Amino acid sequence: MSTSPAPASVYRTKEGLGLWEHRGKVAALGIGHSPTFRRWDGTPENSVGGISLLALRRAIDDAGVNPADIDGLVMDPSTTTGAFWPRGKPLPWGAINAYNRTDDPLDGITGLSAAWILANMPELTGIGFTMYGVGCMSNAICVAAQAIGDGRAHTCLVLKSWHNLEGRYYQGGANAGNAIPGSSAIRSLWGTPACFGTAVQFAEYCRRYGKSHDMMAPFIENSRQNGLKFPEGYWAQHRPEEITPEDYQAARWIAKPANLFDNDMPIMVSAAYLFTTAERARHLKQKPVYILNHATSRTRPRSLTPTLDEVEEDTARTARKIYEGAGITADDLSFENMYDGFALFHQFHIEGLGYRGLKFGEALDFYQTDISISGPNPVSPSGGNIGCGRSRFWMHTDCIQQLQQRAGPRQVTGVKPEIAVSGGPMPVGGNYMVWSATPD
Amino acid sequence: MILISFDIDGTLEEGDPPGILTIDFVREAKKDGFLVGSCSDRPISAQRAMWERHGIDVDFAVSKHMLSDVKARFRADVYYHIGDREDLDKRPAERAGFAFLWPHEALTKPWG
Repeated sequence: MSTSPAPASVYRTKEGLGLWEHRGKVAALGIGHSPTFRRWDGTPENSVGGISLLALRRAIDDAGVNPADIDGLVMDPSTTTGAFWPRGKPLPWGAINAYNRTDDPLDGITGLSAAWILANMPELTGIGFTMYGVGCMSNAICVAAQAIGDGRAHTCLVLKSWHNLEGRYYQGGANAGNAIPGSSAIRSLWGTPACFGTAVQFAEYCRRYGKSHDMMAPFIENSRQNGLKFPEGYWAQHRPEEITPEDYQAARWIAKPANLFDNDMPIMVSAAYLFTTAERARHLKQKPVYILNHATSRTRPRSLTPTLDEVEEDTARTARKIYEGAGITADDLSFENMYDGFALFHQFHIEGLGYRGLKFGEALDFYQTDISISGPNPVSPSGGNIGCGRSRFWMHTDCIQQLQQRAGPRQVTGVKPEIAVSGGPMPVGGNYMVWSATPD
Repeated sequence: MILISFDIDGTLEEGDPPGILTIDFVREAKKDGFLVGSCSDRPISAQRAMWERHGIDVDFAVSKHMLSDVKARFRADVYYHIGDREDLDKRPAERAGFAFLWPHEALTKPWG
């Protein structure tokens, strides 16, 4: 079975589409996470393929589904943004040959195909639909939700995995070559850190609204505190360190005004979800979390880095799409779990949403109030990438767990968890999901 | 007086990844009357917590770019920074007026 990236038509990119035609008819049930690691240790079981199998099997078990009843698999075949197998380095044949392999020997090591997964999960005997949601878990969940709604599958696994190799991030791949294709040739030529564009936007934000970088400290502190309550996360598992305002303000600049703790840390991790129809979900092990809508931004900025004006226009437009398709307003949100994998753009997301009535320029003042999980205005209860390591999926797992009332010590207590929104990555260019404890 | 600044990750056994220098090496340096502390990308509060956990009363715990502050705060005859990275340890240390040692050099250096 060959697997293709989802066509653009799968994504809901436009305003004016009305309610999502499958609103409340698709549900998330099972969750499976692998352990986290800072880098691959070379063992087969901790390869990106190995941890993906573990996450998938945990999701199946968590949902209480017979593997033979699963008929769909949606995943992202890319497993890194910056860790590439060094040219000329001997291939890790021990790990490669520990599994059924595909034609690409690095499949399961520095990338992951649906063919590799299916070759190594013989229990998935009923798969009739596979598709790639390329980029993030945020892409994959949109694709899977739409596929179930459209009847292309009734019980679908959704997978996103990340690998990280020894050595420095962003040093290999195209960055090590003599030629770079496309517009990356212009962006990468300047050698700026990945957070540079966000730093530029944040600097403009501070100038326009009279804010300062120090005002981000409560957000960072809150994110790490929430992340330390997320047992699946890297920091909770390996280095239970808080980030105090003093720590944050003393950190070195990466691209001023973005400092070290405004950036997330690359790790190895895999997460899988099990989605099914609302009808089937009623008879399964976990409480269903219903999907009210998915929405996407594919806006292209006029230049290489979006201006603050473009960011604000697009986050507002994204919010309108999110609310329109879900049939809700900002007032319906119990909490928000927008992406934070640069911390300095989280406020763009939530101001665009109008979360708790926020207008542009108000989020940093909002961060000085009670944004904890026990207060009335929870911000990023998952802890996000800042609190848990780079995965771009903590926010989705957290939404599902919160609405299922099984987020453990991270469970929001200041609000009743009924409707939540999650998604990302970038404020201009991302995919979003609206989750609900009830189908309507 | 000798002052030694220790990087953590990739340098000390407590690091992520672990380095070759033991916590006992630091403890001995402190016992010998050296000024010792850490200069790391870890949160300062986490550095302090690590030293507390090991019962070592360090003289400083600072972020990676603050070696010049350490030099301004403490009077010593010679200042060393021990680390595992060319870009994040060696070059900043030398810019701040510290002598730089790789962890294996620190192990074999006759400190007495």
